[in-house]
Amino acid sequence: MASDEELVARSMGGDLDSFNQLVLRWERPIYALAYRVIGREEDARDVCQETFLRAFRALGGFKGQAKFSSWLYRITLNLCRDWIRRQRRTPIAEMPEGVDLIELASESTPVESIEDLVARREIGRAIARAMADLPSEQRTAIILKEYHGLTFQEIADLLDCPLSTVKTRLYQGLSVLRRQLAGAGLNGPLRPQ
Amino acid sequence: MTCDKDLLVGYVYDDITPADRSRFERHLAECADCRDDVDGMRGTRQLLTAWAPPQPDLGFRVVDSRSRPAWRAWWTPALGLAAAAVLVLAAAAAVANVRVTYGGVTVQTGWRTSAAAPAISAAPQPVDAARVDASYADIERRIRQLEEARASAPAAIAVSSPSRANRPTDDELLRRVRALLSQSESRQQQELALRVAQLVRDFDLQRQADLARIQQGLGRVESLTNAEAASHRQAMDILYRVAQQK
Repeated sequence: MASDEELVARSMGGDLDSFNQLVLRWERPIYALAYRVIGREEDARDVCQETFLRAFRALGGFKGQAKFSSWLYRITLNLCRDWIRRQRRTPIAEMPEGVDLIELASESTPVESIEDLVARREIGRAIARAMADLPSEQRTAIILKEYHGLTFQEIADLLDCPLSTVKTRLYQGLSVLRRQLAGAGLNGPLRPQ
Repeated sequence: MTCDKDLLVGYVYDDITPADRSRFERHLAECADCRDDVDGMRGTRQLLTAWAPPQPDLGFRVVDSRSRPAWRAWWTPALGLAAAAVLVLAAAAAVANVRVTYGGVTVQTGWRTSAAAPAISAAPQPVDAARVDASYADIERRIRQLEEARASAPAAIAVSSPSRANRPTDDELLRRVRALLSQSESRQQQELALRVAQLVRDFDLQRQADLARIQQGLGRVESLTNAEAASHRQAMDILYRVAQQK
């Protein structure tokens, strides 16, 4: 399988298929990032689409100092910031109300019961609400570390801040989340799947 | 060593140098607050795994619209029919055999060769524009002279007689006109053939694109149907399990 760097080089040479392979590879993580930062499905989809369009248009300016994924994350975060500014509101925790058993059943794994799935959904809702209450810097740092596995240094580069600031944001954010989730009756680890 | 939150975060996320890890673990053995922090953060991290984003059908693709033929941007079936109608009319007009005779000079349009017209050569020669202009000017001058000669006296013929020897005869003029017309006809034939070939090629490309779109749509419908059937099966399983438990 071709690496991101190879696909980027081919895309810069005018190969649209190679760029679309990059889109296919990265659309899920980018959508997930946008969704967790702004909290709305449809808007996250728009941000995701706009990210790839901007990346395609600006491909000539991509010099390869950073990883392609970091470059995409930066574009996405800028678009999310613009969205939050434009909407003049904080991110929301948009979670569907009620539980659709049929839908849950289709998501269940052979070792996870429906009850566990319902519990997981409830916890997900509580986390979304708690995350939405965090300052955006702390929320973004936690999302990039927890769900995208970036190193402290990569997060620092992406957010243009010192390494120690990233660690402080993570510490403070996790501490607040811990208190909020404990207040919601969630203070233990999940049952193992 | 005092409590170092940077080291603590690095330890929790396992993003720490081996030396710092050893140092922090020594501190951890002595500090209950940091142990509590580490346990609490690990538990919170564990809970965070439950927050999953939706899984929508994204399928984004970047399409370069510049590579699309310009006519496709506004091409519709109605415009296609109109274009075809114009083409048919143009072909009919070209085929029509119109013959106009005036003052001894005959002008003929159409692809059918008259008995007097020379045969169209298989490989038409390129037309020299300057030569064509000169010939038409010559014809006009000649027609005017013929009209004047018919209207007035033999004196007029006499006036024009000194240069007559240098001018082409009527037969020669007719031959030139016919040659020019035949060249023009063959050029039109070539252009028409090219346009028809282009139209056929574009139509074929459009047809292939439409077929691909239809296949894509069918594939999507099929996958949705399969997903629907799977969820029905699972719902039945759940109901069966519930019934068994009761």
